Amino acid sequence: MTDRLSLEQRIQTAFADLVAAHPHDGFLQYRIDQSRLPEVARFLHERLKGRLALLFAIDCRPRAQKYEIQYLFALGAGQPWVLLTVELVGSASLFTSITPSVHAAQWYEREIRDLFGLIPQGHPDLRRLVRHEHWPQGLHPLQKAFPWDKTMGWQQGEYRFRHIEGEGVFEVPVGPIHAGIIEPGHFRFSVAGEPIMQLEVRHFWKHRGIEKLFEQCTLSGALPLAERVSGDTTIGHSLAYCQAVESLLHLEIPRRARFLRSFFLELERLHNHIGDVGAICNDTAYTLAHAHCSRMKEQLMQLNDWLTGSRFLRGTMAIGGVTKDLTAIQQRAVIDSLDRIEKDFAELESIIFANASLTDRLETTGVLTERTAWDHGAVGVVGRASGIDHDVRRDRPFAAYDEVPVHTVVYRYGDVRARLRVRMDEIHESIRLIREIWQQLPHGSILAAADHMPQPGEWALSAVESWRGEVLYFVMAGDDGHIHRCKVRDPSFVNWPAIQWAAVGNIIPDFPLINKSFNLSYAGNDL
Amino acid sequence: MFRILKKSLKTGLVTGQYPQAQPLVTPIPAAHEKAAPFKSSLTIREVDTGSCNACEMEMNALTNPVYDVERFGVHIAASPRHADALVVTGPVAVNMEHPLKEVYKQTPHPKLVIALGDCAINCGIFKGSYAVTGPVERHIPVDVRIPGCPPRPVEILEALASIRSFRTPSDE
Repeated sequence: MTDRLSLEQRIQTAFADLVAAHPHDGFLQYRIDQSRLPEVARFLHERLKGRLALLFAIDCRPRAQKYEIQYLFALGAGQPWVLLTVELVGSASLFTSITPSVHAAQWYEREIRDLFGLIPQGHPDLRRLVRHEHWPQGLHPLQKAFPWDKTMGWQQGEYRFRHIEGEGVFEVPVGPIHAGIIEPGHFRFSVAGEPIMQLEVRHFWKHRGIEKLFEQCTLSGALPLAERVSGDTTIGHSLAYCQAVESLLHLEIPRRARFLRSFFLELERLHNHIGDVGAICNDTAYTLAHAHCSRMKEQLMQLNDWLTGSRFLRGTMAIGGVTKDLTAIQQRAVIDSLDRIEKDFAELESIIFANASLTDRLETTGVLTERTAWDHGAVGVVGRASGIDHDVRRDRPFAAYDEVPVHTVVYRYGDVRARLRVRMDEIHESIRLIREIWQQLPHGSILAAADHMPQPGEWALSAVESWRGEVLYFVMAGDDGHIHRCKVRDPSFVNWPAIQWAAVGNIIPDFPLINKSFNLSYAGNDL
Repeated sequence: MFRILKKSLKTGLVTGQYPQAQPLVTPIPAAHEKAAPFKSSLTIREVDTGSCNACEMEMNALTNPVYDVERFGVHIAASPRHADALVVTGPVAVNMEHPLKEVYKQTPHPKLVIALGDCAINCGIFKGSYAVTGPVERHIPVDVRIPGCPPRPVEILEALASIRSFRTPSDE
């Protein structure tokens, strides 16, 4: 409580005329005029060290003829979220860009421009982001007037990449279809000789209109969609969605269900991290480690399948709790297999770090400095490898993490090795957490029923530390249990722009390695 | 060195350690004939046109030591120009329609198209969206359909094996 007062007081001291609202516990909301926006945002970002966690727009039609633009700042562990709200009433379609002072806003504002047709004034880069050039002009799918199942036309157009010109400078286009079994995305390298001078990422090939699809669903019916935003983060996304809806429904989650949620989230983290460790080694052509890791990953996937009937743990989360309870026999089997895998993995770790030529490839490759990471608001594994000490599990405990605290792993170098080390340490940490969860697992029910219906316009926000990083869901209720607006933010969305800086100065053959060490989702980014 | 050897010996053989699947439900009559020229090998190029990436993970799992798809002569190529078969996952997102058609054009004849997962077959949960232009077969002819969300690796393996099971001794 003192935190809130002190934070509120500090904002009050700087801007005497601002009045804070407390829409929920843990939130400070300020409705401000857009002329004040840049200075307030700048104050929050630079003076109070607030990270721009989310920036999105809401079309309030048909209830009110206005758009709302929401700026969500995260200020340190235990502090409330600060939400700035700007209204654009009637036909107003210009809003002030904060990108010049808060760099992390750049993609968000371009996204709003594409999906809502609202123009961020003063934004240094107004090229299309989500809408590829062949989308007809004036097509902004998240406007309420736009039918969700409209068939799009086609127009001729060309995306202008940033060019570097000069003697010996040439461009290497890569993608959207890559050589490996990975998702589509386009990378444009400008190189002079071997080193990369500039990398431009052009994504959104897989844009499937997920946020619009959410608006066609009911609060209870959208869970399968949340599970499929990014398949490898099934639990991360479904848990974040469930938490947001539960807070709208004022649902109290049974204690056993909260523990099981943490368990499933850690299980998901385990198989993804182990797979990543192998894949990073594989991209340095060290296939031995890859073979061992993918074998362990497969064991974990089979364990998932045996426990829940899905290799990706699909269908385990439910609004109000979880659908799958675990018997004592299953618990023992889980502990046994995790003991085996931890021993197995520890042996492999010592083999990996005994290999000097491998370490040589990893060290000083793809350095993301702490400053660049901070400017982009980098989260998750990528942020923690660059010294950004941020973990939702510790800073804003959800599920059972208040009772089973996590030891956050932070490295400072920001290179591929640091990202590998974060993953390795988190594997051990996850196994430790799962053991702890089993020791403390309470008895009781695993599912609570809802008897409350949210009013149209009520909203909730939830954050979950998925294996990649912070997943955010903002859900606003609409009429008769439908969703008015669901903003999904996968950690990939903030980390993708950062990779452009991590690649600079490296050679193109190292880019796959750097990309793998970030391992970002294209599906979660493109939505 | 000894540590590596010890680790490998201790691990032993893991290939084939997976639960078996039921035989594939969808019969694939015409696909056998199309697959005949490839005899017992098949080179695959995977194209993602908008999946949630779970299908990609399962395709990747096929190459791990447990499934080891190469032992059945299935090889994954880096370019569509080297491929006998395209494996397409996901509904065709509006931005991926053009790349998909381009990839199809670049793949040499004869070629097979395998739609992997429910989304590629009928758009799955993304059906109807403004940004989804339809299932794969709306854009390119599909020969084999492997349903599931996502299909398990063993199911993909079964399906790939069943395309090539129609091999008469004279073909070999």
